[in-house]
Amino acid sequence: MADTTQPMTQSELMTLQHYLKEYGQQAEIFVSQLEMLENGRMEAFAAIETLQAMLSADDGIVLLQIGGGASVRAKVLEPDKILLSIGAEVVVERSNKDAAEFLKERIIEMEASQKNVAETLDRLRSQMNEINKRLESGYQQTVAAGQDQE
Amino acid sequence: MFGGLKEKLQAARDRLGSSIQGAEANQAPATDAIETATDAAAKKTVSPGAPTFADKVKVLVIDRELIVSEKDISDALSELEMTLLESDVALPVCDAIIARVRTSLIGKHRKIGRSVDALVVGALKSALLEVLGNGFNLVDYIKTHSRPVKILFTGVNGTGKTTTVAKIGAYLKKQGYTVVIGGGDTYRAGAIEQIGVHAERIGLKIIQHQEGADPSAVLFDSVQYAVSHKIDVVLADTAGRFHTKSNLMSQLEKIRRVMKPDLVVYVDEAVAGNDAVIRAAEFDRTVGADAIVLTKVDMDSRGGAAISIAHTIGKPLMFLGTGQRYEDIMLFEPAQVVEELLGSDS
Repeated sequence: MADTTQPMTQSELMTLQHYLKEYGQQAEIFVSQLEMLENGRMEAFAAIETLQAMLSADDGIVLLQIGGGASVRAKVLEPDKILLSIGAEVVVERSNKDAAEFLKERIIEMEASQKNVAETLDRLRSQMNEINKRLESGYQQTVAAGQDQE
Repeated sequence: MFGGLKEKLQAARDRLGSSIQGAEANQAPATDAIETATDAAAKKTVSPGAPTFADKVKVLVIDRELIVSEKDISDALSELEMTLLESDVALPVCDAIIARVRTSLIGKHRKIGRSVDALVVGALKSALLEVLGNGFNLVDYIKTHSRPVKILFTGVNGTGKTTTVAKIGAYLKKQGYTVVIGGGDTYRAGAIEQIGVHAERIGLKIIQHQEGADPSAVLFDSVQYAVSHKIDVVLADTAGRFHTKSNLMSQLEKIRRVMKPDLVVYVDEAVAGNDAVIRAAEFDRTVGADAIVLTKVDMDSRGGAAISIAHTIGKPLMFLGTGQRYEDIMLFEPAQVVEELLGSDS
């Protein structure tokens, strides 16, 4: 990279800006992946809670959300027969307990993926900080060099 | 890589092994009672598909061997099927793997007391190798084709196409080839700068026009530059697009007509799982694809897309993107991937 004792040229500063922009774009993608994983995780937690509540509800009546904040009371005829999407667009019937176990495993997988993405994001951020520092010092050197010439 | 799938496959391998071993324990005590039947039974040949009772008696008493039957492994195969589906392996691919394992194992003779591990691992390996295909060695392809070899990269938005172009450029440069990059993504804001930065870092020539320019013209110029400077490979980046956008797809068709690529490479991310497989099939149907690159493999513990994609669309996987650095790309070698997933035979 640039020699810190010499003022950076305009093109070096621009290259650093491009680097920063590119890292910024990559970081945005990873942040959105983290959000997706978190949404998936929360959804799985909610599903587990609902599965357990269905079993403990004596009358089998649950509130079914139909969108727009509206819900209806619905009676679940077979609370122990759960249709579960297991991946590859395949849906299978599982018992309530097995479905909850499957979702718990999915949560563990998602948490592992979140850890992976977060680590990558941290690395990107530290590289962005490094570039930011260089940019700042480059600007200062350029300004100082300009003042000397005046 | 594919940590979750690896773990699950090893559990399935153990389950298959113990099912076969369990069958041995059930069959062995019957030896004394059926000894008289051996003379007649020994004359019959064993059919690999469905061994008869007499076949079993013959191999059990005379050869001290067992024959693996459908019943012995059906539960373990169902479990393997679930494991594959849960890992996002596409249903037809899953069926192909199960069918192959079933054919490999049923009717197999095994010496009593010998480890079943090699038998099971062998069956799983050959099933996986069959669905993974042969891979695609880009260097071999370049060696055997006239220069410049023109490679067009397509795919949906945000899957890492531009970074992949840069990684492959760095890989080919390391292999001693001269490369020019065509900045054909004139649509996305910042794409021209992005590929420019990559090219500068790797030390490759790039041909670019203004933002909004006709990508066909940029890529045509890239090919002309390669021809006049005797460059070995042209890597043509394009804007990401969904196959449902007909205007963008016809633009891609124009690029193909103008640039006449030798290879069209479809790029998608492994983390998209089965969606990546479906999209690849759609792209192949609409614009065609000769090979596939899967990115973000390091973040995909399931491995479903990598296992399914080649078998589903009938085109080979070429590279796997495994990280952020330019060197984080690996040539897709099926044997190596299977070895990684299942370990050694012993």
